[in-house]
Amino acid sequence: MASTKLRAVQQEQDDDTKVDMSPMIDMVFLLLIFFIVNATLIIVEMDKRVQVPIARYSEKQNDKMGRIVVNVYSDEHAGEGRFRRADGKEIFVDDEDLVDFIKKEKEKWDLKGQTARLHLRADGKVHFTYVRRVIRAAAAAGVNEVIFVSLWSRKS
Amino acid sequence: MARHRRAENLEEDEPELSISPLIDICFLLLIYFLVTTTIKQKERDNSMALPSAAPSEAQPDIQPFFIKISQGGEIYANVGAAQELLDTEAQGTERTLPLLDQRLEIYAAAAKAGNNKPLVQVYVEAEAEQQVVSDVLNHLAKHKITTVTFTDLVAQDEQNK
Repeated sequence: MASTKLRAVQQEQDDDTKVDMSPMIDMVFLLLIFFIVNATLIIVEMDKRVQVPIARYSEKQNDKMGRIVVNVYSDEHAGEGRFRRADGKEIFVDDEDLVDFIKKEKEKWDLKGQTARLHLRADGKVHFTYVRRVIRAAAAAGVNEVIFVSLWSRKS
Repeated sequence: MARHRRAENLEEDEPELSISPLIDICFLLLIYFLVTTTIKQKERDNSMALPSAAPSEAQPDIQPFFIKISQGGEIYANVGAAQELLDTEAQGTERTLPLLDQRLEIYAAAAKAGNNKPLVQVYVEAEAEQQVVSDVLNHLAKHKITTVTFTDLVAQDEQNK
């Protein structure tokens, strides 16, 4: 038999039952940081000055590993350089420069155990002769799989 | 006096942080970002293996299908006397090439029936636009043909040797 005083104290405690959220938040942040640190973030850059052609039966970009990006610009933007890297800033001076770049990138991917592929972002209006030069450079560097980048549709 | 003191104590014991302004700001930011974002279209792959870079010793069992793309964007099938004009222009927003599509369907079916891998050789004139080449490659992808040779590549490589 509890005294009236004790009963009152017990009642008060019942009223104040609250879940402490702070350990849960701590854990969520910890997990978040763990996954951020662990994730290998690969972004294939897209320079919007290159308007890639439309292809309805193209596939979704699932695997972003092993891609060696080369942009080929149309006459409109080719003034500063016809062939450029993913960022659209660094220019390939000539075909040898292209071969060297693809070779180096291929070696990097080979070390990681990935098959190197040419991620070819050629503008729809560009003449095929320029595209052919890139394909030839890739072949010279030992890359024989070429991904022709396209869009599913173009919004007007 | 005593009652007043007790009331003060209670207030000090339970300092609470009001989170409603935080929620308000969060929603405001969310709406701002929703309104200002423009959704970028995702680029897609049309992956092709170009055997010219890795020539194989073995002769393929199947006769390759030959496609020529002229600088005006016309598409021809076969070479020499057997050459014939297929499509002159891609049609519609989906950019279909109906005649080439029919031919490729027959060729792919024949290759499958003979248990062979379909092979396609493409000759593209230098001034042809990449969009037209992409249209042809698109139709190859439709019929699951992933082995393509750009014939001029081989010819030029051989010349260089």
